[in-house]
Amino acid sequence: MDLTLLPQALVSGVLAAGLYALVAVGLALAIGVIGIVNFAHGEFFMVGAFLAYQLFVSFGFDPLLSILFVAPVLFLIGAALYASTIRFVLKAPELNQMLLTFGIGIVLQNLALMIWGGDPRSIGGVPYRAMGLQVGDVSVGLVPLGSFAISVLLVAGLYVVLARTPLGRAMRAVAQNRVGAGLVGLEVNRVYLVAFGLSALLAGIGGVMIAVIQSPTPTVGLAYTLKAFAIVVLAGLGNVRGIVSAAIVVALAESLVATLVPNGDSLRNAVFFALILGTLVYRSWRRT
Amino acid sequence: MKRALAIALLSLVGLGFAQVRIGVLSPLTGAAAGTGQAQLRGFQLALEEINAAGGVLGQPLELIVEDTRADPATAVAAFEKLMTEDGVEFIAGGYSSGVTLALIESFRTFQPIVSWIGGASSGIGNDDFDGIEELIGQEDWFFHVHPWDYQNVEATFGFLGDLGVSSVAVLHEDGAFGTPGAAGLEAGVEAMGIDVVLNEAFTSTLAGGTGDFRAALSKVGAANPDMLYWIGYDSDAQPLSSQLKELGVAPAYVFGAPPGWPTGIDTAPEMECVMGLIGYLPNLPNPEAVAFANAYRAMHGADPDNYMAALAYAQLWSYADAINAAGTTDQAAVIAQLEAGTFRSPMGEWRFKPSVQAKHQGFGSDMWLVFQFQDGRREIVWPADRATAPLAACR
Repeated sequence: MDLTLLPQALVSGVLAAGLYALVAVGLALAIGVIGIVNFAHGEFFMVGAFLAYQLFVSFGFDPLLSILFVAPVLFLIGAALYASTIRFVLKAPELNQMLLTFGIGIVLQNLALMIWGGDPRSIGGVPYRAMGLQVGDVSVGLVPLGSFAISVLLVAGLYVVLARTPLGRAMRAVAQNRVGAGLVGLEVNRVYLVAFGLSALLAGIGGVMIAVIQSPTPTVGLAYTLKAFAIVVLAGLGNVRGIVSAAIVVALAESLVATLVPNGDSLRNAVFFALILGTLVYRSWRRT
Repeated sequence: MKRALAIALLSLVGLGFAQVRIGVLSPLTGAAAGTGQAQLRGFQLALEEINAAGGVLGQPLELIVEDTRADPATAVAAFEKLMTEDGVEFIAGGYSSGVTLALIESFRTFQPIVSWIGGASSGIGNDDFDGIEELIGQEDWFFHVHPWDYQNVEATFGFLGDLGVSSVAVLHEDGAFGTPGAAGLEAGVEAMGIDVVLNEAFTSTLAGGTGDFRAALSKVGAANPDMLYWIGYDSDAQPLSSQLKELGVAPAYVFGAPPGWPTGIDTAPEMECVMGLIGYLPNLPNPEAVAFANAYRAMHGADPDNYMAALAYAQLWSYADAINAAGTTDQAAVIAQLEAGTFRSPMGEWRFKPSVQAKHQGFGSDMWLVFQFQDGRREIVWPADRATAPLAACR
């Protein structure tokens, strides 16, 4: 165990939490407001990544600038999917809802495969991708720092929307009691549509960031969706407020194990599964 | 008149044979879809050429392509479907050691002729692991096209010996591809007197990793090797290379050993000077490579930048030539022709020869080229007789 690497592990862990939180908060929004577990969330993420790639290839757009285009497009995709499919299963058994979103995910994956093929696609010319600021022995990557800052701003913005705006209050109201919110005049379906669109938008922005960091493939969303589920479980299903702290716990735990344990990087997935298991056991123990 | 007679005779002969169908198992979707799609494009080109040249036994050759998703259970079901529903006698394609190991019992049950590209895990030199070469290399019906893991490593040793490094850090993906490959590399490199200062596993982005390799790369920085050698998949290449620079970790040489490289990565600034092992490049200086690249571009509108396309092309032509030479689909006759024949490929002529434990090994360590990303291009820098540019010093 090389403790000289500890400061780098801490910095890398905290910065990784930004992207984790961004993906997880969209998932939490769908679960918390609409009450639907969206297995296609990772595919929104993947679509965002491929749109950023395509904008770069076709028009030379810097991937971070492409957020301005990708975000509204993903909102529209999310809203359209809600209006055309999700809203019809809101009262169906949970298994039907899960199967539907799982199916949407498969359709989106295969559409991506048809359009972009299975090869990983790289946005070649991103001059800042490999830049890092050296602070003592610690390197702070510009891309992780930027994605952390964007994620924090977006998650904070979402908190403000939920807490301070009429739309946010409407979302909280329908989350608490769908029937009651309808009885007092809220258009529940419209609120759900906006919430699902926002959920897709947040995943899409996460996807743009991943297009900078990695080489997108049709299955690129899977790893981050798994992390997002772990974070949502850790925060409490549908609890948007707990997402950032839960993301930091997951990302830091992974980074510390990966750095300080021999062959620790291959234990990253074990770490988050252990965190899910521990959380569920703790919660059930606390209730009894 | 003679031509018409010949065509009529050929048609009559052809009527005596059923159309030859070859079952293809490739990961067309899922995490390894890039490789599977590259294989498919190679098969499509070979199929068009074979059928334009008269087909197989006077009939157009037919491929029945099944998607394995690089998933063992899916691959076994797909293979058994090819055997029981489609009744094919020849299997082509192949990718992933994990998938191949899962298929071995089914291969043994049905025993068609299996010509297999993927599955490099031989098991040779690893007492804890029964590899593919050890398990089915002796079977008459098994033909392995891609080099074995120790042949990949042999090529690397030849290059490292010429390069003269004194210490290496190894990062490897933690699956059936990277783990035995890294063990073989470590043993061989140490036998050459080169220090292995780190041998560390990581979870590939292909296997559910998020592409954050900073922890493993920090350990490389602390070990301060002359060379970083990583064994992973194509989608690991960019995050590994960019995070290495971001962290300020600067070994004199960086060598990647994925099966392929992402589309578009050549122009990424962080790839400059990164080296890799590859079986085929369009700028390989031989006429077969140029002809293949031109035909591939005409059919698919892009460069054949994944060597799996070249291997698939070579594999299908070997089947067509062997069955035509046998004049029958009888298994023993086709095996005899596959054993005796010399076949065409973008890498030049090749044939099946015995390897350490296998009866029929296609390409060996001499297939491999070392290339280096230089100014947005992949230049061949080793071996010297096929080099297109000198190796650039980068630190």
